[in-house]
Amino acid sequence: MSTTTTASRSVQSQPALAASAKFKTFATVFSITGPVVYCLTQYFNYPLCTYHPATGRLVWGYEAARSGEGPNMLWYGWSATTILIAAALGIVALMLPESVTRKLPLSLIWVFPILTIPYIVYSLMPWWTLAAK
Amino acid sequence: MFGLVSTNTYWTLWMFVHLILAIGLLGALTHQAMAVALPARQATSGIVTRFRAVPAAGYATAVCVLWVLTFIVGSLIYTKYRIYIRIPLEQAGYYKTGGFFDFKEHIATIGLVLLPGYWYFWKNAQNPEYDNARKGVTLVLAVMCWFLFIVGHVLNNARGFAS
Repeated sequence: MSTTTTASRSVQSQPALAASAKFKTFATVFSITGPVVYCLTQYFNYPLCTYHPATGRLVWGYEAARSGEGPNMLWYGWSATTILIAAALGIVALMLPESVTRKLPLSLIWVFPILTIPYIVYSLMPWWTLAAK
Repeated sequence: MFGLVSTNTYWTLWMFVHLILAIGLLGALTHQAMAVALPARQATSGIVTRFRAVPAAGYATAVCVLWVLTFIVGSLIYTKYRIYIRIPLEQAGYYKTGGFFDFKEHIATIGLVLLPGYWYFWKNAQNPEYDNARKGVTLVLAVMCWFLFIVGHVLNNARGFAS
């Protein structure tokens, strides 16, 4: 019976996208920068849009909750901003020489998400403060 | 649709869809994480060994599709959560529960942006250059998925759509 390692390595048919060096550059840069971009987007509060669920109103950029119209939702906007900026960084990386992009440490793809956790916990401090009272 | 089922039932059905997609994602990612963290030398007898001895590369596309679908359905029901669940939770003083849900939304997006790299590394699993990154990102995604699942489950127990 084959081992798991063997099974992992014996990918029968590799999609064309997976064989593309350009896609590798785009995908790794997108995924490495994505978590950091998300934290910065949330910290500086740059949502692409704001949704007001009580009224169903969607507006570009940030808009505070309006009196009598319920809460606002920024997460959709933060996620959209993150995807756009990370994609833009991925496209910029495509324009760089391969000798440069090859130097990018691939382990950052799992290191950065772990490093974002303390920031996320900190950003939720209002919840924890209320819970501690 | 609202003529056939009540509003509560409608959103509870979407919640079930979210749950079913999440269970599929959790299963696929847990298999993969076990396969990379504790690779089975031989798929002999024993459920644990067989659990680890799956052809892990074959799960990559399914994991990406399931993460995106779970994310989209979660985003849909989130609008109702914000009004009908979070506000009563806050009024009842369940601040930790609300805080963990916000934690969950951040983790869901961070997991989403990891998918292109994750998919690329698995589709090039024959390249040993990517072994460390592939193993790391798979384990991170699996831990994230378990966190998302447990928080969602506890939150639904605290106050579901039909409450």
